[in-house]
Amino acid sequence: MMIKGLLCFFSMLLSISILSGCWSNQELPDLALVSAIGIDLSEDGEFVNTIQVINPGNVAGEGIQNTGGSESPPVSTYTEHGYNMTEAQRRISKKVSRELYYAHTNLLVIGEKLAEERGIQEIFDALERDNEFRTTTKVVVAQDAKAEEIIKTLTSIDKIPANKVIKTLRSTERIWGENINLETRGLLQKLISPGTSPVISCFRAPGDEEKGEAIEGIQETQPPFRLQASGLALFKDGKLIHTVNGDTSKGILWVLDKIKETGVSLDWKQNKEAIVYEVIRQKTSVSAQVKNNQPKISVEVSAEGDIGETAVPIDLRKPHVLKDLEGLVEKEIKENLLSSIKKTQELQTDVLGFGEAVHRADSEAWKEMKENWNDEYFPEVEVDVKVHAFIRRTGLRNKPFLMDF
Amino acid sequence: MEKAKITPGQLFILIFLFELGSALLIPLGLSAKKDAWLAILLGMGGGLCLFLIYQALYNYYPDILPTTYMQEITGKVLGKLLAFLYLIYFLYIAARVLRDFGEMLVTFAYDETPLFIINALLLFCIVYTVHKGIEVLARTGELLFVLLYFLAVIGFVLVVVSGLIELNNLQPVLEEGIGPVIKTVVTETWYIPFGEVVVFTMIFPYLNRPKHVKAAGLTGIALSGLNIVITMVVNISVLSYELVSRSQFPLLNTIQAIEVAEFLERLDVFFMIALITGGFFKIGLYFYAALIGTADLFKVNGLSRLIYPLGLVVLFSSMTIASSYSEHIQEGIRFVPLYMHLPFQVIIPALLLLIAVVKNRKKQRL
Repeated sequence: MMIKGLLCFFSMLLSISILSGCWSNQELPDLALVSAIGIDLSEDGEFVNTIQVINPGNVAGEGIQNTGGSESPPVSTYTEHGYNMTEAQRRISKKVSRELYYAHTNLLVIGEKLAEERGIQEIFDALERDNEFRTTTKVVVAQDAKAEEIIKTLTSIDKIPANKVIKTLRSTERIWGENINLETRGLLQKLISPGTSPVISCFRAPGDEEKGEAIEGIQETQPPFRLQASGLALFKDGKLIHTVNGDTSKGILWVLDKIKETGVSLDWKQNKEAIVYEVIRQKTSVSAQVKNNQPKISVEVSAEGDIGETAVPIDLRKPHVLKDLEGLVEKEIKENLLSSIKKTQELQTDVLGFGEAVHRADSEAWKEMKENWNDEYFPEVEVDVKVHAFIRRTGLRNKPFLMDF
Repeated sequence: MEKAKITPGQLFILIFLFELGSALLIPLGLSAKKDAWLAILLGMGGGLCLFLIYQALYNYYPDILPTTYMQEITGKVLGKLLAFLYLIYFLYIAARVLRDFGEMLVTFAYDETPLFIINALLLFCIVYTVHKGIEVLARTGELLFVLLYFLAVIGFVLVVVSGLIELNNLQPVLEEGIGPVIKTVVTETWYIPFGEVVVFTMIFPYLNRPKHVKAAGLTGIALSGLNIVITMVVNISVLSYELVSRSQFPLLNTIQAIEVAEFLERLDVFFMIALITGGFFKIGLYFYAALIGTADLFKVNGLSRLIYPLGLVVLFSSMTIASSYSEHIQEGIRFVPLYMHLPFQVIIPALLLLIAVVKNRKKQRL
């Protein structure tokens, strides 16, 4: 009895010591949390990886402002090159004292040169295959800059620059709609599919580059070098071919049904952009029809929103005025979409997913068009845009104070 | 045979967990491309038919194990040979499934841990449970069934709330006609996981209410089948066929895609729990079937003398059956369904039933 008890006791002890730990445990103080990866192309065709590693002590709490003790920045960056991604990434270990940990990498920045000259397909296999990297990581393209520059820039409100980029994308996608908050997973789906090509948001860092990397840079109210979302990069066969801005990018995202809220400016009589319609929610659907081997696309938008601003005297209490405005909104949105669609057709890249719509509608016909879709069929495809806009409310005021009583 | 009894409810739960075991996790039926879910659904229909065969055999011999009734149906020598082959089959598939799960764990979570350690630990738990008998296994099932279903429902709700589901990814349905779907059913989804219910012929005699076998089995297969279909629909609609087809573990990628309210994310542990639970029961039931079959065939008294030797056999076979994961999977796709699942799940039981029917008619006439 005694022996059995002892045996039981020792086997418990053994289980505790063997089973509770991990085979290859890594303690938190031995890890370098990578918040962002930037990938560039060097002059001699190598990949240049820049990683942004969080300095935990300088991020926690109110550190920098209140105690004033810490003078070092919240992140450090390291750069290495290599003929493939793994080489470049593992070589960084020569410069970092801790083991790099990629599970919290939230941002991937692609250099403009890499995207234009080499294409982006090659970089994703290593990332996707790795079990630490997440496919929810957001992707942006560095516009007029190396990815390295974006990664190195310090930011003021969100101390970790990667978070600043992601939060900016998230909020601007939601309330303005010229940028897309794209995940690696969604990007890969579009990269593979023959019926659509990806669009990726661009980020710029205008200003004095040298100052952007120093901690003094963020000690001014208007930092000399700050990150901002810019246009939308259009890809074809994995290569960046053009960057669009403003209304064109909004139109593209509208067709992709990525618009959540935005503003539409309307001309009223002689006054340009005098009334603003705020979209609260919208739904866009794309469908296709194939007749006589000719595809036809129809895009249907239905938007619902309020009046956000008027700079002209107009009586918003009258329902028929709202009806007129709805007509204007519909016309405005339709023109926006048509010109954006035309632009992508000129560039011969189907970022709008029309090919997929044709595939869904008629898979037999699609088989023949698939190969030459971007070059032959897509630029010629007939597109019909229908917009239904509804003005539901006019905000806290009915008529503007400009109006005579 | 040990002296144990399980209820039809427990049988239902065991079948459910057994079916979900690996089918939930692996890319199942993808040679049917976007219509994988349809192939699984049709495979489930086939599985239900197979179950009726097994159940009919059981009705003729409700108190003895298949290893014994094979000898009664086909004569002593041939029956013993068949029974022996079945034991090898069960052991081999147990080793295969163990390897499957070990490889999954190594690939996605423990990349620096040797496969042998992971397999050994998992098998150690299974051996211990099986040592305690089928009743314990069944009761463990009751507990874990609740947990698994709870996670499944939460996971499903989170996927829907995240707005990840793009039903467009499932279209066009039947792009290349019904042909590839039927082919996938016949070569793949009929056997894995549905035909694998053949293991339960070794469990049926333990049932305390034999009349309810049919109901418990059919509902178990149907419910688990529907769950696998839903999982596959969600996988394809979230990831698109292209990503699913390149993924080793589609469900893992689907779960990783969940992001709700900035904090409900990185729920890989859901996948992990489903994986361990399902694997535990699948390997456990195969192992148990091999164990009691061996005891029955070779007239060994007391299961405990056989457990450890057979456990080691499973463990070492799981290490030696293939040198790489790709080899393991290729064997599983090319060789196992045609030369193992088809005869052992379909042909032999069907022939046995045929002979049993004829024999029993003769008896009645006499």
